Amino acid sequence: MLSRIAESLFWIARYMERAEDTARILDVNYHMLLEQSQQTYRLRWEPLVYITGEQDRFFKLYSVATTQTVFEFLGFSQDNPNSIAQCIYRARENSRTIRDRISREMWQDINSLYHMVSRFRAEEEIAVGPHRFCSTIKFGSHRFHGVSDDTLPHDEGWQFLQLGRALERAEMTARIVDVEYHNLVERRTPDEKPDNHQWMAVLKSVAAYEIYRRQYHSRIDPEKVAELLVLHPQHPRSIRFNLAVLQSSLRAISGSAPGYYTNEAERLTGKLHDSLMYDRIDEIFARGLHDFLTDVLATCREIGDHIAHSYFYYSASAA
Amino acid sequence: MNRSSAASAQEHLLHGYDLGAFYDEMFSAPGVPRPHYAKVLDGILKMTATEFEESRQLADLSFLLQGITFTVYSDGRGTERLFPFDLLPRVIPYSEWERLERGLSQRVMALNHFLRDIYGPQRILADRKIPRALVLSCRHYLREMIGVKVPRGIYTHIAGIDLIRDSATGDYLVLEDNVRTPSGVSYVLENRLVMARTFPKIFEVCQVLPVDHYAFELGNILRSISPGQARSPVVVLLTPGIYNSAYFEHSFLAQQLGIELVEGRDLVVDKDVVYMKTIHGLTRVDVIYRRIDDEFIDPLAFRRDSLLGVPGLMGAYRAGNVALANAIGNGVADDKAIYAYVPEFIRYYLGEEPILRNVETYICSRPDHLKYVLDNLERLVVKAVGESGGYGMLIGPMAAAEKISEFRDCLKADPRNYIAQPVIALSRCPAYDPRTGHMAGRHVDLRPYCLFNGDRVVIVPGGLTRVALEPGSLVVNSSQGGGAKDTWVLRGES
Repeated sequence: MLSRIAESLFWIARYMERAEDTARILDVNYHMLLEQSQQTYRLRWEPLVYITGEQDRFFKLYSVATTQTVFEFLGFSQDNPNSIAQCIYRARENSRTIRDRISREMWQDINSLYHMVSRFRAEEEIAVGPHRFCSTIKFGSHRFHGVSDDTLPHDEGWQFLQLGRALERAEMTARIVDVEYHNLVERRTPDEKPDNHQWMAVLKSVAAYEIYRRQYHSRIDPEKVAELLVLHPQHPRSIRFNLAVLQSSLRAISGSAPGYYTNEAERLTGKLHDSLMYDRIDEIFARGLHDFLTDVLATCREIGDHIAHSYFYYSASAA
Repeated sequence: MNRSSAASAQEHLLHGYDLGAFYDEMFSAPGVPRPHYAKVLDGILKMTATEFEESRQLADLSFLLQGITFTVYSDGRGTERLFPFDLLPRVIPYSEWERLERGLSQRVMALNHFLRDIYGPQRILADRKIPRALVLSCRHYLREMIGVKVPRGIYTHIAGIDLIRDSATGDYLVLEDNVRTPSGVSYVLENRLVMARTFPKIFEVCQVLPVDHYAFELGNILRSISPGQARSPVVVLLTPGIYNSAYFEHSFLAQQLGIELVEGRDLVVDKDVVYMKTIHGLTRVDVIYRRIDDEFIDPLAFRRDSLLGVPGLMGAYRAGNVALANAIGNGVADDKAIYAYVPEFIRYYLGEEPILRNVETYICSRPDHLKYVLDNLERLVVKAVGESGGYGMLIGPMAAAEKISEFRDCLKADPRNYIAQPVIALSRCPAYDPRTGHMAGRHVDLRPYCLFNGDRVVIVPGGLTRVALEPGSLVVNSSQGGGAKDTWVLRGES
């Protein structure tokens, strides 16, 4: 498989995931806020911008985080390269460059999603609220993965799609936990009660609310939320789960046997996955959740760099 | 539907249809369809105007969703346009096609002989069948190709020969030869799929010859020219990339051929061997179906500013380590002044009389022709010899006085760069005009795609019928408002 094609597949999956994750946090946040006072309003929109890591760009464009400004910025803005519309546009441009290597069904699916997204008008959607737009994105992303799984051979190219999605999702979950924990727990004044609704929103934004209820049968405890999102072995959006996907896809590509690694990306993935497998949440809190997640994010970035160096941008001269 | 409503629908779609002073592909006289159109006409005109319009919108939507578009980059983001597709097919009876096929085969073989000769022994120059200066002065005659042994002696693997029908005689004429990187065949294949889906019943009744073996035939030819010995050849399609207007076609063909679509940056040349960069290291490449023009293909050999090409590719080609389709240097055969001599090539190399005639051509580098052309600019079409796509052209009778005097100066300054031809009244075919909801006569041409495998020429029946959708326009190029029709060659006699 050509390096360029592998790279495009990797990025298609990343952009799709980024669009979906952004749509999820926007949608859930909006609905939760409908039941909140005006005061909490502003405090709840800002963290979303931080989760996407685009705060600098945001505050250059807007002075305050409101439903309108954040929805416009994260949903449609052409000045935000990671807005949902831009992610879909870039996923589709990447697909276009490799349309001969993805299935016809995949291309038509992502192409029609792009045309659908292009037809949304920011002003109109802001007026009716983000649900309609965000659902389109969410289901678009689900459909994309369904169509890919069902029409693309599960060969190396498919593994690069898995890599892109898992890496993006691990990073996104890490940022959600980091920002929300800081926002809802550490920033709270002593007389404020822990806010059950806000934690429910966090869980819903990563499709983890139902699983939480089944697992813990209790009111929402921030530490348990963190445990679920960081360490759960089966929840498809937990960091650990996605590291496991990364590890298995990297091995499928390189052919490394269990217990061995072929490149730096595999080594770092294995190392992080092991620590997520054997660490307990109280140990992580003892060290400090923020520091821990900062390390996770740094390792994820390194893994991304090493994937690029091993497979996309190695120096080329014939043996 | 009863008889009277069918009649009124028919009246509606073709209401006020005017044959004009042109050869009409569908009607021999007002209201009298040619026999080979009878079934199509019957099927399509059974529909009401509303049904036809619905079919048209469905077909357009299908093109849009499949991304069968070309891109206009004017707003920085790229606006995609549909290649306008007219649902009424152009129909060619088998007897007529059979003659076209023989004529095209003959022409492509002669062009291949010519290229092999002028980059080799140059017999035709020694025998003075074409002025030596005319060939050697051609911008696309590449000295780098002299003496290069191209695999199996094939230069023109893929040829797109543009045909027009002259209203004056009803006869087909060759308008130009495209043996560099002719494009458009993907539309032939995709248009056919959309037609079959839109009008399955009409299709079944009409017995249309299939076109979908194109990729199979092309794949065979590409594999046959591999310089590699025993191992199964690695064939790739080299594209300038996503910003090229024909990018859809490149990716479509790569997929149909089951080969890798590569850009220049995916390939490296090391010690005259071409490799592609894969996730598991470098893989040797044997055959390149290249869709990049000669001058951009290798910055070391031709244009140094080309970022699209592959440094060192010409070296690998000359060393015989990689095969290219089409060959480098074919542009000399597309030269519109050289074109005038193709009938002579057929006589000289094949010892046959040309089956298809040329359009009468004045070569401006000949003083007598130049004088005639300058005296008659208002009545002639003037074309730059090296251009394609309808660029660099003057249509005398339609041109403003300034444009004519501008061309007069160009002609005097660089006569070798121009030829002139009489204005041919292209035949017309009914095409749907969405603005009026009626069919109206529009000028058409035909580009069949000819594959040369070294022994014989294979042509998928039909080709791309291009149609000038603007009323009165003679320009069928997609870059200038042209559209396409599916071309049906009917099985057996109609």
